[in-house]
Amino acid sequence: MSVLASPGPVQGGVRGRTGARPLLRPWLPRKVAPYLFVLPFIALFVAFSVYPMLFTLRLSFTDWRGSGAAQWVGWDNYAYLLGNEMFWGSLGNSALLWLMIVPVQVVLSLLIAVLLNNAKIRMRSFYRIAFLVPFVTPLVAVAQIWVVVFDQNYGAVNGLLNILGLPDVGWLTTTAFAKPTLALLFLWKTTGFIVIILLSGLQSIDASVYEAAAIDGASRARQLRSITVPLVRRTLMFSVVLQTLAVFQMFAEPFVVTDGGPYNSTTTAGLHLYEHITRGDLGTGAANSFLLVVVVMGLSLVFVRLLRTED
Amino acid sequence: MTTHTERPAAPAPTRPAATWSAQIRPATTRTLPATLGSQAFLLLLALAFLAPVAWALISAFKPATQIISDPLGLDLTALTLDNYRRMFVDVPIGQGFLNTAVVLVVKGAITLFCAPLAAYAFAKYRFPGRDLLFGTVLITLMLPTIVLIIPLLLEMKALGWVNTYQALILPGAVDAFAIFWMRQVIADVPDELLDAARVDGAGEFGIFTRIVLPVIRPALAGLAVLTVMNIYNDFVWPVVAASSERMAALQVVLSTLAQNITGNRVGADYATVTGELLAAASIALVPLLIVFIALQRHFINGILAGSVKG
Repeated sequence: MSVLASPGPVQGGVRGRTGARPLLRPWLPRKVAPYLFVLPFIALFVAFSVYPMLFTLRLSFTDWRGSGAAQWVGWDNYAYLLGNEMFWGSLGNSALLWLMIVPVQVVLSLLIAVLLNNAKIRMRSFYRIAFLVPFVTPLVAVAQIWVVVFDQNYGAVNGLLNILGLPDVGWLTTTAFAKPTLALLFLWKTTGFIVIILLSGLQSIDASVYEAAAIDGASRARQLRSITVPLVRRTLMFSVVLQTLAVFQMFAEPFVVTDGGPYNSTTTAGLHLYEHITRGDLGTGAANSFLLVVVVMGLSLVFVRLLRTED
Repeated sequence: MTTHTERPAAPAPTRPAATWSAQIRPATTRTLPATLGSQAFLLLLALAFLAPVAWALISAFKPATQIISDPLGLDLTALTLDNYRRMFVDVPIGQGFLNTAVVLVVKGAITLFCAPLAAYAFAKYRFPGRDLLFGTVLITLMLPTIVLIIPLLLEMKALGWVNTYQALILPGAVDAFAIFWMRQVIADVPDELLDAARVDGAGEFGIFTRIVLPVIRPALAGLAVLTVMNIYNDFVWPVVAASSERMAALQVVLSTLAQNITGNRVGADYATVTGELLAAASIALVPLLIVFIALQRHFINGILAGSVKG
């Protein structure tokens, strides 16, 4: 194979000072190669990501409703949204879901990852599989399972509560419980993935650091606070940013499980965006998506900064 | 792809500490109760993570009326295949599987070829326009996917691609996350390795196929599993772009069934539809579970190899 791929006879022995430059001109010049390598990706990326993105940006300054001529309306769509209760309500719902999900998930995932990183724990590969099972199962399937399991009248969860002598709870039908039930679905579905990401950070810490700390008499909790958390800060930051993006873009979960109800209590930012589109109000929908990008970018920058400055 | 590289890959970080640590560690008796507690905590949590899926898989074999009248009970003598039988009659799930399989093979191949190749260029070459291009990739990572749906749908209509395999395959074939992740991984491949191959007369593409790909194989395996999952589980775009019965992907078939329940279109048939739904959901998630359990070592190691290091 190596013979086939060689462009010609290799002139051994005559190497440059650094020994890192080829003396022969390969069939693909080094200056041209990267362009060829990115070409397939660029073609797809421009056609199906950049072009639609620019189209949406232009759309956000028009009143286009899907047919006919588009009227340029300047910043009207943005102004309308910034003064609109539903828009702020959807952002508020997403923010509340973020509060219910991300802090819990970070703590829980770190705890699980630290335990799974401990060689004394048995059945570690079983746990790694178990925690990842929800992550690999199709969302539409598990969302449906959620609908059935949390059903107010026939659901397994209320069945369990009844056995314990507790009354039925309207998990998906009351404004008080719909958000936490949705948050639970999201936590259950994605925590395994965050555990694996954190585990990768933990495994890059040299074991000798802990041994030195143990010799100095540092307790497990102390080691976690003083060694683990600071050393996996970048991995933690990556997870928080990743999940912030995911929570604020959350769409399929409320779409399948609650359809935004009851009383819009689970209309997330992502779902609200979709509602403009189904109403045919494409200009407003486009403006809404760019406002959402600004929010998400802003939040990401805040977390990056928060988690960096303590170094 | 060769099974081994001519050159040794970067040596794995050795941990000499491990050999003598056993002598220094405090006696295990002191940490035993703590380990037991952790063990119990992990076990309970793992069972909670498995419970909903296990419940669905088992309930699908219960008579439909029992699923709702006694969701937690299990009458072994009453187990039945009725839900599956009815589901196969009512739901075009075979066609859904076929469509998903076609998309999976073609789209997966495109992703696994184009993403590492482009990422290699981003990680290991300096060329004008590189940073601008990569910056654009990062921005699309932040853009909600739903945003692109309308313009993409209009694009599909203009191309006459609505309800075709092209529409399911090409948009999103090389997603921003794959590029971002692979670039991270390839950046860690030592430059000396690539330069040495260059000295030996390897061409730029040869370096990619014979050095880079073998070295990053663990992460590549991770990307493969993640890609299969994403394509198999994708739902929003297939619903919009190809929802005709002939072109509907598996998840679309499933969601159509589901909307009968959430939309209250079933009335007295609630139990029947729930039974069919659990059967369909089970059959949709079992192939992926099998793939995942068979390949979990590669997947987990791939992510471990490819993530941002602490």
